[in-house]
Amino acid sequence: MLATPVASALDNSLYIPDLRHRRKESVLDELVECAQREGIVRHGDALRELLRRREALGSTSPGRGFAIPHARSLTVQETRVVVARSSRGLEWNAPDGEPVHLVALTLSPSECPASAHFDLVVRVASVLRLQRTRQKMLDAACFDPIANLLREAIA
Amino acid sequence: MSPIHALLQLHDLDQLLHEARDQATIACLRRLGLAVRIPRPVEAARRDLMRHVDARWMHHYERARHRYGGAVAAVRGRVCQGCHMALPRSASPAGEALTLCESCGRILYWAVREPA
Repeated sequence: MLATPVASALDNSLYIPDLRHRRKESVLDELVECAQREGIVRHGDALRELLRRREALGSTSPGRGFAIPHARSLTVQETRVVVARSSRGLEWNAPDGEPVHLVALTLSPSECPASAHFDLVVRVASVLRLQRTRQKMLDAACFDPIANLLREAIA
Repeated sequence: MSPIHALLQLHDLDQLLHEARDQATIACLRRLGLAVRIPRPVEAARRDLMRHVDARWMHHYERARHRYGGAVAAVRGRVCQGCHMALPRSASPAGEALTLCESCGRILYWAVREPA
């Protein structure tokens, strides 16, 4: 499969300014629902299950207030990143015990090579691990500044 | 659960387990501060999914998995994403029925609705 340009993995329609839920499982459902609504995922139930199984292998939050759940799945149509914020903070079993305020669900189709998928995961995480960048994202009034911060770093 | 849904989940789970055992992936995730370990419930989930698929199709699945690494291939634009061969016009998604790629033998998952 041809690598999807990273910049096109971001889309305003795949942005949730403030998540409704606080529990990890419910948040994953909310993120998948968003991706499914936009036609990025065909069978949302299968993706939800896969993301839960991924979390069972270890938390996808490295701490610092962000999480980067990720999956390669047959049911994913195109490489995309669903970006979401939580003003209240989420319980994500982070190693530092801090609540998560930024989530970037990184999705790739199954035929996307693992190296390309994890390269995208690393690039997105490298942006989110910077405290100043996270704060800018949390303060942003709309998705455009958030997308620009991610595009600058991962393009 | 229908056999195709079970195979879809089984394929994704096998891919996840492969990643979790792959040293390059483990090293990549460690650099991000993410640790992975394979707990028993995930292995048990694999056995549960297998119960939804009859022996003949599990045989196809395991044979293709050992040969290619992945046993199920998405169909996009009438092209098998496993071997990148165009499927004949006679090949079509038949409801929940399982079909094989005639070129490579992978089980096909019709990822998008194809135009008639």
